[in-house]
Amino acid sequence: MPSFSELTHAAPSRNAFKIMCDTVHALLMREVKARFGSSKLGYFWAVAEPIAQAAVLGLLFTLIGRTSLANVPVVLFLFTGILPFKLFSKLLPQLSLGIASNKALFAYRQVAPIDPVITRLVIEIATYAIVYMVIMAVLAWLGFDVVPDQLLPFFMANGLLIIISFGLGLALCAAVQQWDDTPKLLSMVTTPMFYVSGVFFAATMIPAQYWYLLNWNPIFHIIELSRDAYFESYTTPVGDWQYVTLFALGSLFLGLGLYRINRVRFSA
Amino acid sequence: MIMFKQLSKYYPTKQGRRYIFKDVNLSLPMDKSIGVLGPNGAGKSTLIKILGGADYPSKGKVTSPLKVSWPLGLRGGLQGSMSGRENVRFVARIHGFTDTKMVEEKVSDFAEIGIYFDEPVKTYSSGMRARVAFGLTMAFDFDFDVLLVDELTAVGDTNFKKKSEKVLKNKYENTKVIMVNHSANELKKYCQAGLLIKDQNLHYFDELDHALQEYQSCYVTH
Repeated sequence: MPSFSELTHAAPSRNAFKIMCDTVHALLMREVKARFGSSKLGYFWAVAEPIAQAAVLGLLFTLIGRTSLANVPVVLFLFTGILPFKLFSKLLPQLSLGIASNKALFAYRQVAPIDPVITRLVIEIATYAIVYMVIMAVLAWLGFDVVPDQLLPFFMANGLLIIISFGLGLALCAAVQQWDDTPKLLSMVTTPMFYVSGVFFAATMIPAQYWYLLNWNPIFHIIELSRDAYFESYTTPVGDWQYVTLFALGSLFLGLGLYRINRVRFSA
Repeated sequence: MIMFKQLSKYYPTKQGRRYIFKDVNLSLPMDKSIGVLGPNGAGKSTLIKILGGADYPSKGKVTSPLKVSWPLGLRGGLQGSMSGRENVRFVARIHGFTDTKMVEEKVSDFAEIGIYFDEPVKTYSSGMRARVAFGLTMAFDFDFDVLLVDELTAVGDTNFKKKSEKVLKNKYENTKVIMVNHSANELKKYCQAGLLIKDQNLHYFDELDHALQEYQSCYVTH
């Protein structure tokens, strides 16, 4: 990396980390405004969308006479699948376009291509956490037992999900740089992912000889593991921490590596 | 002083690497303002961008103990979907200013584009863009040693030209300019020295007139 350390502006003297924080803060303010500010309904949709999805699926299960899935109330079961999957399926397109849609701002040397990616990651995680808590608060008010059984593994599963999404998102930034059609291909992949990630079913509901059809999918593992942590009554037969951790490290390595290789091309 | 060490810049094209600069070694004495000369596509904007940290060299490096501005140009720097005010706020924030209100007002006063200041930049004419881009550097007390200007004054109306000329000469008494402009008269107004881009290399001339003569004999067909 060519050194520009000596070509600095005369603004308050800051170290590299402070500059990055200031830049991410500046990006955060404008991204949030662009995302939620243009329509007052922005925040509403963030909560309403997963609720609508859960309502449709919940209705279907109620119609066929189920009140619980894998010993868990249908509503809770669905939300603990829909919400993490939503995070994953929103992070990938958001992160992958983070660099391409902020090119004009790389004119300022303070703004590194990875900054908008980090910004979008922060926004999506914050939205996810708030939506999760709002929905669970409402369910608690309705009389459900919404407190996770084991907090630490629950946060670990979510943390691994975030690392996987960040790594893949960063790798997709490089893909977007190379091929304009990447977003189309991406949605072709993430849409069917909804049906094989255990959003509306658990491993215990399918025969063991068919597990291998879903076993490759780290998101399936994560949803299984997070339900295992969330509900005392559910124990996952397939969720594998080791596999998910390796996958997370692999995607992080891939993402950072491709970013490093392409960093010069990103700003052009 | 700005030092170029083994600087190379190429762009990958279908016909292979196209070099803009190849192994440039040069020390630019920044005691005079410099006009950059070269035909279209020679690499004037690329040079400004590399100096401003908006683009990276393919090889080698550029170093300087001086405070160098970002590239002030019509492309880049301002994001189309954000309003002028939001752009200003953004630039203030990335420079570590927490009170952006003051900066916004200063730029608004300088730019004099009225209500358009709160409209998206993509609706601006190039003159209005230039006013905001230029106003940005006026508003902060950055104390730049070197101001990078890429074809910015060319698009303004008479008022804006007068105003920016005054500012460049007064506020930036100690600031030198590195300027790209296709009008020799404009260059003469601001710059005393010249930098000619020729054969993928940079040639510095102490006198702008010498650079202009060299440019004429190299590139202008009679």
